[in-house]
Amino acid sequence: MIAVLGLVVGVVVGLVVRPVVPSGFEPYLPIAVVAALDAVFGGLRAILDGIFDDKVFVVSFLSNVVVAALIVFLGDKLGVGAQLSTGVVVVLGIRIFSNAAAIRRHVFRA
Amino acid sequence: MSEEHEDAPGPGTGQAEPEAGTGPTAPRQSGRRRLVAALWPPRLTRAQLIVALLLFVLGLGLAIQVRTTSDGNSTLRGARQEDLVRILTELDNRSQRLQDEKRGLENQRSQLETSSDQAAEALKQTQEKARELGVLAGTVAAQGPGITLTVKDPHGGVEADSLLDTVQELRAAGAEAIQVNNVRVVGDTYFTDGANRVLVDGHRLAQPYVFKVIGNPPDLEPALNIPGGVVQTLEKEQATADVVRSQKIVVDALRPSEQPDYARSSQ
Repeated sequence: MIAVLGLVVGVVVGLVVRPVVPSGFEPYLPIAVVAALDAVFGGLRAILDGIFDDKVFVVSFLSNVVVAALIVFLGDKLGVGAQLSTGVVVVLGIRIFSNAAAIRRHVFRA
Repeated sequence: MSEEHEDAPGPGTGQAEPEAGTGPTAPRQSGRRRLVAALWPPRLTRAQLIVALLLFVLGLGLAIQVRTTSDGNSTLRGARQEDLVRILTELDNRSQRLQDEKRGLENQRSQLETSSDQAAEALKQTQEKARELGVLAGTVAAQGPGITLTVKDPHGGVEADSLLDTVQELRAAGAEAIQVNNVRVVGDTYFTDGANRVLVDGHRLAQPYVFKVIGNPPDLEPALNIPGGVVQTLEKEQATADVVRSQKIVVDALRPSEQPDYARSSQ
């Protein structure tokens, strides 16, 4: 419950305060957000499976974000940033879909 | 590390074990119950706080990104360098094209202005020319400095050739428009002798003969008055000739303009 409150407070603060992101970090923010979403869906599925471990969640969340940003950064340096970020988004999207399907099976039993 | 490890499984295993104990055959129902148990009642554990922090960061990033993307004019802020270069190049090309187009249109406009000026000038010159030619052809009235020559011939001694000589003398002296009584004298004017009368272009001339002549008066008057000239010749035939200079002579006798039947402009 406190975790959900944290998400809500984050959204509200982001909308109200309008923090300025350093321009060097800006291109990686969308990819990082998608990676974090993937980690969150994975964690949700783990809760439903009964195998949730907060350490695993923290590590997967951070590593997801860092690796995704790193891939995009590397792609930018190699000149294939647009293609690589598309690839990362596709892979993360597939994972989010499969996690969402598992969650759906738990919640709706269908 | 070790603390977290101990903290985390606490609620998780405590929640999972009763489920496993009560109904191992219904794990799906247990999943939903686990979700509800994780949400309510709220527990202030270290694991919850850490997850809340991470989710706070996620919500923050989400909100920032959504805001940045939905701001119409700041879509360029998140763009990559190569995209920015491409956009810049496109804008450069576009402004180049628009500049070219603008230059072409300006050239066209100045050409149109010049040509309309030229057309107006040509029209003006043509009208000027038409007026000059009208004076020569006798189709328009003319005015200007000149002389009036009045020939009185009570004895009828003046004949057509004398009047023709007078006209020739005036032309030689630079007369530009001549009228005799109310007949305009032009290139094809002819003088003939009728019964006691002189005919000009078939019109009878009544006495006295009044020549209205436009030209330079200091040229015209001596040309008539020179010894052996027109005035003396007329006086020899018992006629009197008066020459009066004037700064404003109006020659308003007109001739109809005639289209030539055969001659055409060769230009």
